[in-house]
Amino acid sequence: MNALDTRSTNSVPGSGLKVESLRFAYNGTPVLLDINLAIAEGEFVCLLGPSGCGKTTLLRLLAGLETLSSGNLSWKGQPITGPSLDRGVVFQDYSLFPWMSLINNITLALAKSHPETDKKWRLNLAEEFLEMVGLADAARKHPFELSGGMQQRVAIARTLALGSPVLLMDEPFGALDPVNRARLQDLVLDVWSNASPRKTVVFVTHDIEESLYLADRVIMLGSSPGRIIQELRVPFARPRLRRTLAGSPEFQALQEQIAERFRRDTLQRIEAESVVNGEAEGI
Amino acid sequence: MKAIMAESRITSSTNVPTATRLLAKQPAKPSGVRRNFWLRLQGKEGALFLLGIVLLWQFVSTSIHFAGAYLFPSPVVTLKALWVSLPELLKGTWSSLIVLIPGYALAVVAGIVWGLLVGTIPWVSRMFSPFARFASPVPPTIYIPYAIALLPTFRTAAGFVVFVGAFWPVFLNTAAGAASLPQRYRDNARILGLKRTEYLWRIVFPASLPHIFSGMSVGLVFSFIMLTVAELFGASAGLGRFVQLYADYADYPRMVAGILYTGAVVLVTMELLEQIKRRALFWVK
Repeated sequence: MNALDTRSTNSVPGSGLKVESLRFAYNGTPVLLDINLAIAEGEFVCLLGPSGCGKTTLLRLLAGLETLSSGNLSWKGQPITGPSLDRGVVFQDYSLFPWMSLINNITLALAKSHPETDKKWRLNLAEEFLEMVGLADAARKHPFELSGGMQQRVAIARTLALGSPVLLMDEPFGALDPVNRARLQDLVLDVWSNASPRKTVVFVTHDIEESLYLADRVIMLGSSPGRIIQELRVPFARPRLRRTLAGSPEFQALQEQIAERFRRDTLQRIEAESVVNGEAEGI
Repeated sequence: MKAIMAESRITSSTNVPTATRLLAKQPAKPSGVRRNFWLRLQGKEGALFLLGIVLLWQFVSTSIHFAGAYLFPSPVVTLKALWVSLPELLKGTWSSLIVLIPGYALAVVAGIVWGLLVGTIPWVSRMFSPFARFASPVPPTIYIPYAIALLPTFRTAAGFVVFVGAFWPVFLNTAAGAASLPQRYRDNARILGLKRTEYLWRIVFPASLPHIFSGMSVGLVFSFIMLTVAELFGASAGLGRFVQLYADYADYPRMVAGILYTGAVVLVTMELLEQIKRRALFWVK
């Protein structure tokens, strides 16, 4: 894990990622409403919610890829106004440039995080990163020659090469089969817990089990418009063992509790809508 | 009766997938002479069609006697003429390419660079697009007389019109490709904090290559059109000049040979570009 330490970050305790009364509208339609969220440095947070709840939008706002309508967004007290090397992003797919070999995809990131170095040094380091995700042999291959899981490994390696203290992950394993998904979850946990200082991870998912396996804290988002409906600290000690965890009654109870909360939110929304429609009919 | 028809329709519709599978270069299945015949034809239709044309040509030029028959030299006569004129044609190819290559190359470079800028920078696009909309549809052959009058030598004039003919397709396609850059590439480039030149050269340019290559193909065809037309006007050598010369002498075997030869040159050049394209676009599925 040497490669992880090459870009040291001076960690100021306390601040972390802050979202204050954030509102985001797209063409006048509110997508996110009054989001308040504080994520500590080194914390692993999952944004959990059904599709269309704006969790990806929230992640893109944190990345600086979208501009908020109102409110405040900051990392370590600095307002987020655009993308920065502080915050690396892994998208669901297409994080890599298909015309570059894997190693060139990584050196492109290294050229940004280590601008003062020469090419040879970057190539060596890039190989180290690929080795870290178990793909050293495929360095000269191109993304289209790889399976989706392997591509996501490289995408993770690239984000690590950026040296960002914050990892933003947008349903990164949504398109993977269960086996690969589990492997990559473990890879992310490995990366997260072995880096010093610890990375701050914001992980978007719609999979309750995934969020409970990975996160310190689960932020549940409801839809239309997107807003936080509940926060939940995950009580399980680390390292978590997938098999014992999934079989435990606590895990299952929590899973059911979260599912129930989402069901209730959906029902409330439907009721609210039917009330509105009913009145409209009366008029 | 209806039931039988329905049934036959069903069987024929279930046969469709088999047929398509067979057509996809699979060994022929012995199921009916008719289908077998078409399957054995696989990939040979093109050659047969060409053979048909040559036979028709042979027939028309030797068996039918009409007033303008001298305008249709037989394939054998044309072939002989081609053989005899080969040294002259090769020389002509050289003097054509010496004009075409610099003009085309310059057009490709300028079209790509300018297209990338126009496709990515809004104010450059706002500045240039009205002009492009006016200038690009002008048939470039219309410039030829003016270019010949304006420029000191025939070569520079021909090179210029080749440039104009190839520039617009390359530019328009590049600009369209750059402007339609998928959001995911832009997001990734922003995440990595790429500078504008890096962004243009390492992201927008390769991502636009499929568009750029279609522009280059069209541009190449235009280059040949512009060049041969320019040569008809006032060259002292070259492929277009060759055809014009023997048409003036009413030496139709040589003229037809010149046309066929020019076709072959264009074909080879296009194929060359196609090979380059296939290499460069290895990553496109």
